[in-house]
Amino acid sequence: MAIKKKRYALVIDSRKCINCKACVVACKAENKVPVGNFRNRINEERKGEYPKLSINFEPEQCHHCADPSCVRVCPTGASWQRKDGIVLVNYDECIGCRYCMVACPYDARYFNEEEGVVDKCTFCSHRVDKGDIPACVETCPSKVRVFGDLEDPTARIHELLSTRRYRVKEPQTGNGPQLYYLL
Amino acid sequence: MGTIRMDRRLFLKSAGATAGAVAATQVGCLRYFKKGRSSAAETKEIPTTCELCPNKCSAIAVVEGGFVKKLNPNPENPKSRDMLCARGNAAIKQVYDPDRIKQPMIRVGARGEGKWKPVSWDEAFDFAAKKLSEVKDKYGPQGTLWSSTEGFQEVFFKNLGLAFGSPNLVRHPTLCLASVNLAYSATFGTVPSFDLLNSKFVIMSGANRFESIITPDTMDLIGGVMERKAKLVYLDPRFTVTAAKADEWYPIKPGSDLAFILAMIHVIIKEGRHSKDFVATYTTGFDQLAEHVKQYTPEWAEKETEIPAADIVRIAREFADAGARALYYAGRRSSWYQNDFQMRRAQAILNAIVGNWDQMGGMVPNAKLPKGEFLFMPWDEPKAPRVDEIETAFPLAAKGDGVYLKLRENVLSGKPYPVKGWMVYKQDPMNSLPDQAKTMKMIDQMDFIGVIDVQMSDMAWYADVVFPESAYLERTDPVEVMPGIWPAVVFRQQVVKPIHDTKPNLEIVQGIAKRLGLSDYFDYTIDQWVEAEFKDLPIPMAAEHMKKHGVWAASGQPSYGKTLNSDHRFVTKTGKIELFSERLQEAGHDPLPVYTAQPQPRNDQFRLILGRVGYFTHANQSNNVWLHEFVKENDLWINPKPAERLGIRDGAYVNVSSSVGSVKLKARVTEEIRPDCVFMLHGFGKKSKMQSLVYNVGASDAVILETAWDKVSGNAAFHETFVKVANA
Amino acid sequence: MHEFNWGLLIVVYLFLGGLSAGLFFAAGLANYLTVDDKPVYAKVARMGALLAPWPVAIGSGLLILDLGNWYRFYKLFLHFRWQSPMSIGSYLLTIFTLIAFVYLFAWLKEDERKWIFSKIPATWKQVHRLNVDISSWREKIAMVGFPFSIGVGIYTGVLLGAVSARPFWNTNLVAQMFLFSALSSGSAALLLAMLLDRKNPVEKHETKFLVTLDVVFISLELFIILPYIIHGQLSSQAVKDALTLILGGPYTVVFWVFFLFLGLLVPLAIEVYELFPSIFKGREFHGSRRMALTAAGLVLFGGFLLRYIFVYAGQVSSFHRMGLLR
Ligand SMILES: Nc1nc2c(c(=O)[nH]1)N[C@H]1C(S)=C(S)[C@@H](COP(=O)(O)OP(=O)(O)OC[C@H]3O[C@@H](n4cnc5c(=O)[nH]c(N)nc54)[C@H](O)[C@@H]3O)O[C@H]1N2
Ligand SMILES: Nc1nc2c(c(=O)[nH]1)N[C@H]1C(S)=C(S)[C@@H](COP(=O)(O)OP(=O)(O)OC[C@H]3O[C@@H](n4cnc5c(=O)[nH]c(N)nc54)[C@H](O)[C@@H]3O)O[C@H]1N2
Ligand code: SF4
Ligand code: SF4
Ligand code: SF4
Ligand code: SF4
Ligand code: SF4
Ligand SMILES: [Mo]
Repeated sequence: MAIKKKRYALVIDSRKCINCKACVVACKAENKVPVGNFRNRINEERKGEYPKLSINFEPEQCHHCADPSCVRVCPTGASWQRKDGIVLVNYDECIGCRYCMVACPYDARYFNEEEGVVDKCTFCSHRVDKGDIPACVETCPSKVRVFGDLEDPTARIHELLSTRRYRVKEPQTGNGPQLYYLL
Repeated sequence: MGTIRMDRRLFLKSAGATAGAVAATQVGCLRYFKKGRSSAAETKEIPTTCELCPNKCSAIAVVEGGFVKKLNPNPENPKSRDMLCARGNAAIKQVYDPDRIKQPMIRVGARGEGKWKPVSWDEAFDFAAKKLSEVKDKYGPQGTLWSSTEGFQEVFFKNLGLAFGSPNLVRHPTLCLASVNLAYSATFGTVPSFDLLNSKFVIMSGANRFESIITPDTMDLIGGVMERKAKLVYLDPRFTVTAAKADEWYPIKPGSDLAFILAMIHVIIKEGRHSKDFVATYTTGFDQLAEHVKQYTPEWAEKETEIPAADIVRIAREFADAGARALYYAGRRSSWYQNDFQMRRAQAILNAIVGNWDQMGGMVPNAKLPKGEFLFMPWDEPKAPRVDEIETAFPLAAKGDGVYLKLRENVLSGKPYPVKGWMVYKQDPMNSLPDQAKTMKMIDQMDFIGVIDVQMSDMAWYADVVFPESAYLERTDPVEVMPGIWPAVVFRQQVVKPIHDTKPNLEIVQGIAKRLGLSDYFDYTIDQWVEAEFKDLPIPMAAEHMKKHGVWAASGQPSYGKTLNSDHRFVTKTGKIELFSERLQEAGHDPLPVYTAQPQPRNDQFRLILGRVGYFTHANQSNNVWLHEFVKENDLWINPKPAERLGIRDGAYVNVSSSVGSVKLKARVTEEIRPDCVFMLHGFGKKSKMQSLVYNVGASDAVILETAWDKVSGNAAFHETFVKVANA
Repeated sequence: MHEFNWGLLIVVYLFLGGLSAGLFFAAGLANYLTVDDKPVYAKVARMGALLAPWPVAIGSGLLILDLGNWYRFYKLFLHFRWQSPMSIGSYLLTIFTLIAFVYLFAWLKEDERKWIFSKIPATWKQVHRLNVDISSWREKIAMVGFPFSIGVGIYTGVLLGAVSARPFWNTNLVAQMFLFSALSSGSAALLLAMLLDRKNPVEKHETKFLVTLDVVFISLELFIILPYIIHGQLSSQAVKDALTLILGGPYTVVFWVFFLFLGLLVPLAIEVYELFPSIFKGREFHGSRRMALTAAGLVLFGGFLLRYIFVYAGQVSSFHRMGLLR
């Protein structure tokens, strides 16, 4: 059987996000993210004057960019991208210069003080490779996030992206971000 | 922010090209950090049941080398809807918390001074048994108080109290949902569930479902409101997350929800929009109700609630039009005002007249599943009357749960008799009761206090002996049936061995019982207990199934309408749904909800209101490192208008004082609250130094909350406190 | 969430790297300039040569210490990644540092050279073989070194300028700005060193040479900074937003008062004032020592601030909504 090409992406229905941060803690446990660091976050936008108010919550993590600037600037090749689009850090090669952090337009990376290396969301590649979904996707009470392979026409994200309007964040960075926010 | 629709083929091409080029030069896969991992360690997945709040979600623990690495949601439990919340995920840190109590401890300094002597379990048991016996000798078994909050092992604790001979068991419901339960029971003879997944129109009075997580309601509300576009109307003096997601939010004047509901009933009946067939077939007292609500016009309610009359009329019409699929959601922490019971009852009545009973998208009586029971040796019923005088003061209330605040008053006054020994299980009265100074007085006058907890709570900090219970991931608990629209049976089994010298509650109870000569009543192991419970589960190989799956749920869709036949008898006096209640009348209460305006704060005062965030349970998880990251210190929400008047700046410290106490915390000047209210979060300003992240950080609301209770149920009324706020 | 990933060490590193580049450039230039075939600036050239390698060496050391895993720095040289300015820069910097040290060696006097080798154990035969006089190579080394010094000067700017994620940086003007700032810092540092060297009092024509050099570089720098701001204003919203960091935002005062005014315009004014009579009135140059000291000091101060402002403000700037920094 021919190996099919994959392109992983995440569709986010942020209207459904209730800022419960289950995804943040799930990631912390799954990936041993140190206290004080985060691979994912919930951006908050609070607006208005009493009693006309609104709050928007918007989950964000590494966008696993199509053309990732973090990979481009890395002097050692520690930051790299898999064929399926997942952007990873090879911890053994990382010298901890933090150039990639500065170069990420989405502030998706953090510096692991203890290990002296840079880290970030891996799309839970170790889970995905076993056929599971990422920890943050699985635990979410509102099922805000839908993870899948854009190359797979039967994937739910395919259906969502073909039937709903969406946007990506700051496309002008030229990075080709792969988190799709449903409108 | 730019909104674009990208050409997918285009970016896929470029994605593929760069990805391929980069990846081609790389070999190997992701390597984990070496620390704390050994690749040789085998990974096990053990299903269990989350304990960090009352929801009991099903979880699957991933265990690696004897270490709980991760908790994943277990999709087999329909109630938990395939999720774990932040707290559920952070339960790992409950086990590996450096602040944990690592062995039994006996107090050596003054109470609350924090001088402890680590002791063996034998010493701890001997000490407790000796002290309890001393109290019993002096004051009789009724001289001891056994207070606890729900939990799978609570049964053993309660049984110890009863076997010891004390009538004084007091549980959390009168701090929580007693008035809701009583109001719905008084109307329907049972407390139903709310089918939010299928409802079309939902109204919620301060049930902050998107932060106060209740399964499956929170998830179903997202499914209903956000996916199916059902309508949600939300009333709350605060702009909560639920308010932010609602279609309409009204910052209702606190304490006036009853007026809003009565006016809705008024409109619906006046316009004949109620479900006439349903009312005729299943209810009694409609005529009295119709007569009674004539006075409650929308215009009148507008003045009480500050919600425009036109909106009340419109909402009432929309609600009635949604009929069987309209829901006035009950809420849970009904501990608000002294008229709480009547407010909840008005909701029940409103629900009844639109005919949403036992309907898809309406209120549904809970389905149950059978399980076996372990038969143990029975003891004699305690002879003395209860110290809270529940039989006379609150004849309708649930006897087994007691009435907490009345009980505290009586213990303090020593009437009707002295209570001098206090055993506490899985409860933190220092923080969950109002007026902490009063609770401390109660502590002061005790000859003995023993606390069983998984961490050094403030209550444990003031105890004479602390028994550290193993965390839920370290123990096996009794089997629990979770009734509901989607009922399930859940099992909590040991995931890892206790990492410290802790014991499950049953063994603690047995240790004390043995020294009190009560061993015969506790002559079993947890395994025998759960085996007996497995026996009657209507599934083959029940024990194996439960150990392997952690949950069993009846398959298939919920069945609606089982009670909808004209000869169904509701468990009420008349066998009907009682819009008008003779039982209430006989007990000296209003048979129909009568509105009395609640006192409102003076100009220089604010009403202190309470509520939750999704990251903590009550006051008890603010010391969990993974949750503490989200809120490191609590603050006082105050509207910019009064803040400006008082010269209070965002982030500056303020003194907040009531008639019973005063606290200092930071101000959060925010538009997200009514100008006449202030709000603060629970779980900070801890007195226990073994809550090191929140010890003396922020402030505890229990210090300034005043004592008040609902007249019918005895439920604590937590929102009756007026405070003054001034720059510190 | 957003935090400063690069801190003061990076600022110092960028400053010192540029300083070395500037020192080498000025020293090399001095070596080439002759009047009537006589190397009139030999003292300047020697001073520059002696100083040039040290800042960059120290700076690189600091950079390595700043790494999360400093002992892995060698990995920089196991890869060559043409898209990564840092990868290219590492090679550039290493080669430049080596050249600068060789150049220094070429400028040592015989007794100095002998003294150094006398400290090296006699058994280290291979090392003693290096004890040769290469003073005749000076010009050739300088020639080879020029492009590398310019490269290093530009690199310190490209390191930032190539980061497309930071609108404050992402223009090619940053590289030029950093280059001219580096060159001006180098000449100022050289001037300062000459002025402070009491044993060999600086001569008027030497001062004049360095001051003139500095005036040229400062002017060039100024002509980059103005377009940088104007161009930014005409650019995309993100860049405009980014510029508010120095146009009303938290870096406004450092930028306008301390960097632009004190670090650039004031020294320029002093230097022009000093040069004015000798250039336009044909009078002899009468540089005041105190004035020259002040100007040189201010230029160095400004050069440092420029890096400071760019490193910090640049990290705050983002395509995200501004003000993520909390
Ligand atoms: N100010 C204020 N007071 C309130 C409320 C409020 O919102 N604000 N809410 C009210 C409501 S609704 C309720 S339900 C009550 C709840 O009040 P409580 O029942 O007192 O609170 P919990 O946080 O459920 O539990 C308290 C203790 O149980 C311990 N515990 C947790 N798990 C275990 C376990 O497995 N074994 C043992 N032995 N101990 C365990 C915790 O460490 C904690 O110390 O509070 C009420 N009081
Ligand atoms: N994350 C999390 N979830 C929990 C818990 C937890 O501790 N943490 N605890 C669980 C328990 S035991 C319970 S009882 C439930 C409680 O869940 P809820 O019943 O939702 O109670 P609270 O979250 O306390 O919310 C009370 C809300 O009422 C508002 N309010 C105050 N006064 C008035 C008023 O006069 N009228 C109206 N309309 N609103 C008013 C307050 O601002 C507050 O937002 O949550 C459960 N779920
Ligand atoms: S778990 Fe889901 S709902 Fe909760 S914060 Fe994360 S994305 Fe939002
Ligand atoms: S979001 Fe940042 S870290 Fe993630 S791939 Fe894109 S540039 Fe790299
Ligand atoms: S910190 Fe590591 S991953 Fe990032 S650029 Fe430097 S070497 Fe590459
Ligand atoms: S995909 Fe995995 S690594 Fe990325 S944020 Fe989610 S849980 Fe964390
Ligand atoms: S709601 Fe959260 S804390 Fe409560 S049982 Fe479920 S996972 Fe545990
Ligand atoms: Mo509760």
